[in-house]
Amino acid sequence: MAEEEDDPGFDEDLDDGGNGVDSGQGKRKRLFSKELRCMMYGFGDDQNPYTESVDILEDLVIEFITEMTHRAMSIGRQGRVQVEDIVFLIRKDPRKFARVKDLLTMNEELKKARKAFDEANYGS
Amino acid sequence: MADPARVKPVVGVSEAPAERPTQSEGSRDAPGSSGKVSEPAAVQSTTREQGKARSAEEAAAAGEEEDGSSSLHPPPAKKLKVEHDKKKEKRHKVDEDEIQKMQVLVSSFSEEQLNRYEMYRRAAFPKAAIKRLIQSITGSSVSQNVVIAMSGIAKVFAGEIVEEALDVCEKWGDTPPLQPKHMREAVRRLKSREQVPNTKHKKILFH
Repeated sequence: MAEEEDDPGFDEDLDDGGNGVDSGQGKRKRLFSKELRCMMYGFGDDQNPYTESVDILEDLVIEFITEMTHRAMSIGRQGRVQVEDIVFLIRKDPRKFARVKDLLTMNEELKKARKAFDEANYGS
Repeated sequence: MADPARVKPVVGVSEAPAERPTQSEGSRDAPGSSGKVSEPAAVQSTTREQGKARSAEEAAAAGEEEDGSSSLHPPPAKKLKVEHDKKKEKRHKVDEDEIQKMQVLVSSFSEEQLNRYEMYRRAAFPKAAIKRLIQSITGSSVSQNVVIAMSGIAKVFAGEIVEEALDVCEKWGDTPPLQPKHMREAVRRLKSREQVPNTKHKKILFH
């Protein structure tokens, strides 16, 4: 019953690596296999997570990014993805919202620090 | 009183007061530093210094306010600003407390916990791949900030799924490593909470 809501690519992707055997998400080369393994271990899974689970998670992440991108394109300035749109879309989810704010603030601070460092070097 | 170093935090902080408490512990991972550990530490020390400088300034400002109030009432705008600065100062102290608590916690980790924590902080999606993915969808180029924001959100999303899957795994009496059935059940639960975005299903209101 739960399978009805699932992407058929989950069950068909039997091969390791999933190259060209089946339709759906399995056709695309695995983009994030290595990073996702480290991430799953960091989040609490075993040190060697199952390849099928990593594949499922990669498909979910790609679908999430795709979905966000489409939504961001439809609001604000049409056809473009801007940071303000992403922040607007994420406003209801406290975790993600705080994380984005943190990352952007940190990025600004790093840029300022690097600029100050370069200017100091240039002066001397 | 217009300290340029103070202006930006006011904008960020006043817009999201409710989100501050949910700020995840120790998640001060710098965006581009998948391999460097020194940069976040340097930034943390600079922010701490800035925080100290700001609180020193605010103490001086509060002292000036007290001198002025003996002769005439401080105007309401100034009063609001002083209150806001005090709240910001309290928030900085809370941040510093949190940093200290995190340091105490991390120093007491076992070897395995340290490994896992290091993976948790360092694992990130490659920016190039994310940028390529987004650009293939939009057809036009995107700015660097968009890539940074999207990778960060994707990581939080992956974390939510893995945490829910671990809950499911424990509830069903299984052990990690996670199996696909746990992942699917986790997705099903998150969908019912609307934490997994899905616009494929068209909702027809009056059938």
